[in-house]
Amino acid sequence: MTPGLHHYLIVSALLFSLGVFGVVSRRSLLVIYMSLELMLNAANLALVAFSQFNNNLDGQVMVFFIITVAAAEVAVGLALIVALYRKRRSAHVEDLTSLKY
Amino acid sequence: MNYSLLSLEILVTLLGVAVLLGDLWIPSSARRLLGYVAATGIGILLTYAVGTAAPPDGTAFGGMFVVDALSNYFKGFFLLSALVVVLLTIGSSESISGYAEYCALILFATVGMLFAASANDFVLMFVALELITVTFFILVSYSRNRSGSLEAGVKYLIMGALASGFMVFGIALIFGSAGTTQFYEIAARQTELGRSPVFLIGLLLTLVGLGFKIAAVPFQMWAPDVYQGAPATTTAFLATGSKAAGFALLLRVAFSAVPDITAHWSRLILGLGVVTLLYGSLCAIPQRSVKRLMGYSSIANAGYLLLGVAAVSLNGSTAVLTYLGGYIFTVLAGFAVIAVVTAQSNSDDVSAFAGLGQRSPLLATGLTVSLVSLAGIPPLAGFFGKFLLLKSIAAHAGSERLYLVALLAACVGVVISLYYYFGVVRAMFWPRTVADLTPIPVDGPTRLALGICLIGVLYLGVFPNALVQGAKQAAAGLVPQTAIAAQPVHAVHH
Repeated sequence: MTPGLHHYLIVSALLFSLGVFGVVSRRSLLVIYMSLELMLNAANLALVAFSQFNNNLDGQVMVFFIITVAAAEVAVGLALIVALYRKRRSAHVEDLTSLKY
Repeated sequence: MNYSLLSLEILVTLLGVAVLLGDLWIPSSARRLLGYVAATGIGILLTYAVGTAAPPDGTAFGGMFVVDALSNYFKGFFLLSALVVVLLTIGSSESISGYAEYCALILFATVGMLFAASANDFVLMFVALELITVTFFILVSYSRNRSGSLEAGVKYLIMGALASGFMVFGIALIFGSAGTTQFYEIAARQTELGRSPVFLIGLLLTLVGLGFKIAAVPFQMWAPDVYQGAPATTTAFLATGSKAAGFALLLRVAFSAVPDITAHWSRLILGLGVVTLLYGSLCAIPQRSVKRLMGYSSIANAGYLLLGVAAVSLNGSTAVLTYLGGYIFTVLAGFAVIAVVTAQSNSDDVSAFAGLGQRSPLLATGLTVSLVSLAGIPPLAGFFGKFLLLKSIAAHAGSERLYLVALLAACVGVVISLYYYFGVVRAMFWPRTVADLTPIPVDGPTRLALGICLIGVLYLGVFPNALVQGAKQAAAGLVPQTAIAAQPVHAVHH
């Protein structure tokens, strides 16, 4: 049996849900950030699958945009998390509580 | 392809690169010069963008990028807010480490906004939004010696990346079900696509991304923290440019790509608008930090603007655009003062503003005018937008109860906002405690920025006609050409 479009989409939806679950349930900024990347890659998988099965290359072009943007986002994001760790000696969301009224 | 359509974007990018490179040759004692270069450059581009009487309409990149009345309307305001923000940073150029990069990042974020105003395709929309968001991650956490700024940056990072994750997945679903990501092509097939659940889920997820950008409930959690933690000049840009870019895209998606579905979902948008404006207004009441107060006020304003979108009419869209025009001048004036005062006293608490009326009459007048305009009191710029907005809602209130409820909620919101805005005004002129009464010096560029904003607020309040005409023209361009051809009697825009 060759995998059809819906197989890819199910995997993609699972990856996306896993990412969302990771963001809401984890407490470490780095793991949260990994989960966010998982969400972007779920979208990439869906785009490539749609592209392949609909014979429309636009989706694959979009994947390149997403990969580029994700790389930029990771570069900035990790730099920020490292800077925060240096300042606070912690990279946990519980410690992000200095801003409130 | 006609590259002249992209001239504004190309020139702002070049200006940003020039500022970045100029830093290599200019001695660190003359850093301030780069700010003047950036400000002059934007000023020239602004006069060029606004002054061109009839900018040629057209599309580039196979219809992805469109220049029309709406994009021109927004581009003027984006350049204006970039100009004011750069002017505000010049005074503190010595204290910001990496000042050239700060200016360059503001310019690059502006490029993202300019592209967002012209985006006619979900792919360009995503890339433009990410260009804005990623540069703002850095701008928000720029004073990295203050841990509040870093914390705000990390919060913005997590929430922003989450929103773009939702949006990208939504775009993937839209592409999968429609086979295209271009707004006009989607508009031509929207009756058929409106029945596809995959398309509708994709559209909802995309709206999550936009909802984050404009800080609408339930994606508003980041706004107060980020507004408070970020440097005041960044907050000013976030509250004006970034929010306006979100609304530019929201209007285009709602009325160019899927007008029929928007009409169908108008009650949902209306409900979100009401909840957003009440949430923002109520949470602003106990705030002590003025920057945080502006964060909640910004949420409340997003709520009002959503009501205009939910009116699903030409008048509603015109009101949204008029409101945004006045709002940008008003908020920039407010943040010009907040930036000076917070830099002076190292605190954004209301007590830092106590006695400002005696310390610097200019600053106190500026902030008062801004807050009064935000509250929507005539004859200032904030009034007319709010008036048009409520009028567009009232047009539906007779036939639908929900619109009546929204109208009442908006009026309640205005009354609550009077209370918290005047709390700040009272602290400035009638402080409870005897405050430090040393005068606050205001540098030239800040005076210029404040002057531009105040004249704008007063002028637009007294003579709103030009702005309303521009807004009407821009809103009229939102109806997609193909959709008119397909449906002669258009149910959405009447």
